[in-house]
Amino acid sequence: MLTSVSWLNKYLEPAGLSADEVAAALERAGFPVEGREDRPDGDVVLDVELTSNRGDCLSHVGLAREVAAATRRKVKLPTIPFDIESGPGSSTRAESVTDVENTTPAVCPRFTARVIRGVKVGPSPKWLRDALEAIGQRSINNVVDASNYVLFELGQPTHTFDLNTLAGPRIVVRWAKDKEKFLALDGHEHTLRTDELVVADAERAVSLAGVIGGEDTSVTEKTTDVLLEAATWDPATIRRAARRLKISTDAGHRFERTVDPRTIDFAAARCAALILDMAGGELLDGVIDRGRDAAPRTVIDLRPRRCDQILGIVVPPAEMVNHLEAIDIQTGMTDEGQTLRCTLPAHRPDLVREIDLIEEVVRIHGFDHIPIEEKMPVEVKPLQTEERAMRELGSVLTGMGFFETITFSFVRPDEADLFMPPGLRTLKVHEERRKGEPALRPSVIPSLLRCRKVNQDGGVRQAGGVRLFEAASVYAETDDGRTIENRNLALLMDAPEAQHAWRELRGVIEACAHAMGGAEATIEVEPAPPVFPACRANAHALVRLNGMHLGYIALLTDEALTKYDLSTPVAFAELNLPALLEQFPPKANVESLGAFPAIERDLSVVVDEGAAWASIEEAVQGAKPALLEGVQFVGVYRGKQVGAGKKSVTFRMRFRDPARTLRHEEVDPQIESVVNALSGKVGATLRA
Amino acid sequence: MLQQLEELEQSALRELSAVADADALEQWRIAYVGAKGKLKSMAAGLKDVPREEKPAVGKRLNEVKQAIEGAFESKKNELGSGGAPKCSGPMLDLTEPGLVPAIGRRHVLSRVRDELVDVFGRMGFSVAQGPELEDDEHNFVKLNIPAEHPAREASENFYIEEQSASAEPRMLRSQTSTVQIRVMENHQPPLKIISPGRVYRPDTVDATHSFMFHQLEGLYVDRNVTMVDLKTTLFQFARSYFGPEAEVRLVPSYFPFTEPSAEFYMKIRLRQDKPPEWVELGGCGMVDPAVFEAVGYDPEEWQGFAFGFGIERIAMGKYGVPDIRMLFENDVRFLSQL
Repeated sequence: MLTSVSWLNKYLEPAGLSADEVAAALERAGFPVEGREDRPDGDVVLDVELTSNRGDCLSHVGLAREVAAATRRKVKLPTIPFDIESGPGSSTRAESVTDVENTTPAVCPRFTARVIRGVKVGPSPKWLRDALEAIGQRSINNVVDASNYVLFELGQPTHTFDLNTLAGPRIVVRWAKDKEKFLALDGHEHTLRTDELVVADAERAVSLAGVIGGEDTSVTEKTTDVLLEAATWDPATIRRAARRLKISTDAGHRFERTVDPRTIDFAAARCAALILDMAGGELLDGVIDRGRDAAPRTVIDLRPRRCDQILGIVVPPAEMVNHLEAIDIQTGMTDEGQTLRCTLPAHRPDLVREIDLIEEVVRIHGFDHIPIEEKMPVEVKPLQTEERAMRELGSVLTGMGFFETITFSFVRPDEADLFMPPGLRTLKVHEERRKGEPALRPSVIPSLLRCRKVNQDGGVRQAGGVRLFEAASVYAETDDGRTIENRNLALLMDAPEAQHAWRELRGVIEACAHAMGGAEATIEVEPAPPVFPACRANAHALVRLNGMHLGYIALLTDEALTKYDLSTPVAFAELNLPALLEQFPPKANVESLGAFPAIERDLSVVVDEGAAWASIEEAVQGAKPALLEGVQFVGVYRGKQVGAGKKSVTFRMRFRDPARTLRHEEVDPQIESVVNALSGKVGATLRA
Repeated sequence: MLQQLEELEQSALRELSAVADADALEQWRIAYVGAKGKLKSMAAGLKDVPREEKPAVGKRLNEVKQAIEGAFESKKNELGSGGAPKCSGPMLDLTEPGLVPAIGRRHVLSRVRDELVDVFGRMGFSVAQGPELEDDEHNFVKLNIPAEHPAREASENFYIEEQSASAEPRMLRSQTSTVQIRVMENHQPPLKIISPGRVYRPDTVDATHSFMFHQLEGLYVDRNVTMVDLKTTLFQFARSYFGPEAEVRLVPSYFPFTEPSAEFYMKIRLRQDKPPEWVELGGCGMVDPAVFEAVGYDPEEWQGFAFGFGIERIAMGKYGVPDIRMLFENDVRFLSQL
């Protein structure tokens, strides 16, 4: 809120605080100063930040109360030269010229009207124009300015109608009719709904309650008689209308933060006194007052011991009383000094519980008086396995050349479709919140593809190609509306040569599995038809860890490659992160290394192009060769000698006897049985 | 025999001193110390020496053998290390640049997060995690944020577009305080947790604002946790993470889920080339009794504090990143710099 230092000083006793002193006091009390303007006339305007619970401070008097409490001063309110209720003593009753009907006391706790007749509308005096201009307000005329001044002085919005433009003339507080038209002071005609509250005359809406007045009934040069409204409204009703109609006003801003019905009389009388002073006229006798009975003043019991328990320091009760009374809270001891009975001022509707008062005590006492301890007692807890696992996984991946990315969780709907498995639906946020990208990603891969493109555009070259990983949530919902959120590990790498890249990516996953679960962890890869459109038809496989589903590996389709404008093919994988991390730490399983040398034999067999390595390996193992320790894939050769539609697969078998040194002739029979098995199972012939 | 030994030693050493390259040395080795060399045949002659001379001759034979072999070893070393031995193998350019293995890097935000987890871990805080897709209940209601609170406006949050109007509203969490609620719902105090993670708010994007960012939330609940403990914890964190000059200040503020509430400032040196300055880091306070009631804790029995701050702010300050958007572009060249 823009706050004039000279204006604020009017309410302090003693006055004369400098801008720096005011700013320091406000900051200590929890009102940080965000900006400062030194004006040519010597005044200083501070931009004071307020929290949403302190609507009472949206005024110079409100902030003066805080400054006074922080600097141990008194607050001096403006004086009103007549009785607040009856006015200066006119012989004409206000009720004799107009009337007010409040049909909605539930959302309009109080509506008061005063009538001033015979005003002379004209320009405001210089002091008032200066005061309003200093805080960025435009001067309109002396009557409207008086109302505006009181708003920024006391925080209570009031409104002035030209009495003679009101049909009746009378006021009805009611819900708007469906599609009721209302021409507001902002020059726009608004179409209202039945959950919006209006102040109407006998015929039409003349004000959107608590938000903005009407154009046709405003006070102008021609006005002679004024109806002065001071009312309070239900904050939620005001906010709803202001939000829907996108009307932001100072009055609405205050009503949204609660204005207490008990504070409005003083403000209305102050406004009337200013009008009489500047525009002359006669304030008619009495106030037309329609609404509920005022609530009694709030009383809260504060236990000083409880306060000390929360704060961790001892504030003597006498000091507590001083702090509370500095902000207009009356106190009295009860229960033999165990409890402070606190009676709250009407302008603090935010204080309703004991803890609210404890906060006020420490706020005035000063947070700087809460001590800091140089040492603290600590219970030592075990290291968290999942934290250690994620760090280990991160270092293994970076060691293999992968960079970790952090990308946004939103994608375009067409990107979500590319990666959405069947049976699941995309979750979206409102289009207006995230223009063009309202879909919550069902996969991290589209985001990594965009990163790949950023790096392509940047001309990034890495040995082995760009490799990216991210650990993040992915989202979808089932057809029956159940929310799914999974934490995934996504891997993406360049695949200029598909077969090689596939093996590399599988190797990366195996390395991750071993880092998490140790040498015993096994990764199985089972070719399967793709379940979402981004995967190449013949290049998608399910990945299992120790027999349990872990994720998939795939190559990107050419269409998707084009869509992301990538010049290098890519391979990608997405794994269930918790399933991987929960393997950690690796189980140590120490076995003595073989004491006797092994015999290795390489075999090259010619098979049909379609014969998978997995079927060859299975055939070799199926022959159950004695003393076979392991089978290792060596490579594939294609060429003229092998023949069209055929390939030559070379692999290495290792034999070892744990008890003695093997002789070559001892493994010859096993080789023969392997060759026979391969011939039978996969139609392999020994390569010449 | 002794005379022969004398001659052998002299001729061997003389010829050895003339040897200038590895080939000549090899020839010398074969002639003198090889399997069929002169030293071996001399040793074979020992059996013909009269019995009474054997000890003396044997001793001398040993001395000569050691002298010749020792001289051979030193000659071999000399040829190996000095001079200009003949090159074997291809020519090398030993000044060519190193081949650096392609090593990736964890994202700077992850590393800062881990650093923070370590510091708070030393103070006894454990990491707790929760979902990013949340409901009203955990993001607002149980945090004492009433229905009419401005923070709940549709325009301030990423609510999910529901297919049916009756569906329970879902949203991307706007704060990590949701994890506080989830942990308290499922565990009895005492509790000492931090929850780092992604949060989402439809902010206008600029150099310091992003619609997705990371927060770290702390919660400590026990019987006698006070504001002194809160301030001490923040202070110890500041000293441990930002260095021994760090200072902490609390300034009154307002959050629905804490009371008393405060903003915390730290006087820290975010960059080594700049003097320490007061930086507004985050919000904190004593857990509001309404929050305890919402999760079924008795607020007269349990007390606690909570705090929260943004991770980007710290990472950007510490590493001199001028624009938050750079953190989410993921250009490998940028990631390598941090």
